[in-house]
Amino acid sequence: MSASRKVPAPQPLRTSNAAVGKIHPVVIYPFHQTKSYEDLHQLYELVSTLAETSSIYARPITVMDRKTYNANAKSKPFLKFRANVIEPSSDILDAWCVDTCQMWYSGLGMAYERGGPNDVYWLIPGDFNYGSTVGHEVLSHLHDLPEICVELQQDVCIGEIAADHNNPKQLIDTYGTFALLYHWFPSEGREIREYTERPRSEFFAMRHSFLGEMLNRRWFAYEQTVVTLLHAVFDKKHISRFMVGHISDLPEGRESISSAMQQVDRTERVLKAIWRERHQSQPDWNKRYRMLEAKSDEVRRTAMTILENLLT
Amino acid sequence: MNYRNQPNAHNMRSVNFVCDAPQANSVTLVGDFNNWNAHSHPMKKQPDGAWLLRPELKHGHHRYAFLVDGVLTLDPRAMGVTRNDKDQHVALIAVS
Repeated sequence: MSASRKVPAPQPLRTSNAAVGKIHPVVIYPFHQTKSYEDLHQLYELVSTLAETSSIYARPITVMDRKTYNANAKSKPFLKFRANVIEPSSDILDAWCVDTCQMWYSGLGMAYERGGPNDVYWLIPGDFNYGSTVGHEVLSHLHDLPEICVELQQDVCIGEIAADHNNPKQLIDTYGTFALLYHWFPSEGREIREYTERPRSEFFAMRHSFLGEMLNRRWFAYEQTVVTLLHAVFDKKHISRFMVGHISDLPEGRESISSAMQQVDRTERVLKAIWRERHQSQPDWNKRYRMLEAKSDEVRRTAMTILENLLT
Repeated sequence: MNYRNQPNAHNMRSVNFVCDAPQANSVTLVGDFNNWNAHSHPMKKQPDGAWLLRPELKHGHHRYAFLVDGVLTLDPRAMGVTRNDKDQHVALIAVS
């Protein structure tokens, strides 16, 4: 491991509640294996520290898509990293997953089955540049998310990554995600924005009871953070947002129009499904749905026109 | 006994709170740490118009807000956002 920087040791949690559960870290291994393992080494240095602090943390879980394993099954560095770094510090869950959010579902589900009523579950995405200076800063803040859930009795704490307003992901959220949220769920969309500008963040922690509710609802293969936030607002859960730093996805680069289009399409599809679920028992729901759907088409087209202008 | 629940008198940190409100007549810091008491943590006006207070807080996460002339005001530079027990939006700070 090169230029290794020390990960801060976990500190005792501050809580007035006598019944303190454990924190369950769930690492989502990157779908595409990068050539350099530096980012993952940095991440697993943290995971190793968590595994050694069993008074606070449950045994970490690493979710690895079987397609990722199969694509790298003959790679010596990959097998060595898996055997010498991942396995000693976490239980590996090999799973067939249609998309990232299904990896979340499998990992959080496994952790939930191991957990108890006072526990908190902490999702840690693996595909970020933790090896960079800003990535290291993020690693040093990630533990705040589950701790906020424990100490302040929050149901969900979203980690926000600061990005300038021209960041492609921020543009997609501003002109796509929020535009569609305001259309399908206006009051809930406004409430969500009171907390975060990044409603699709992959950094979050959840309390046992809320995770149990979410696991037993329909879990979407994508945009599940938006779904989680919507249900948190519907059910008046305790929501927090905490800044975890500045960071960019790997690989670095601009979002393609195709990728932006896919993200906006998916958000619209998810919001439509949730709207139908919440209204289909009402009379004439389909008439209202058709009206909203027609306008949603306009919102999505406008979002794509703006994003095409900004991302090309 | 669970060691997480033990208060640790040595685990205190001095924290800077700054509120930029040059037109205000009074600014007070309220939060979990003072039971949202409007009088216990008055801030001091600085020459540049900002208000400053440097209290010692326990290790952990705290909810807080500024009372600017009696009006609950969210810190725009806060590390996080949540709600207090009165369902008002307030800020979050981590003390480590």
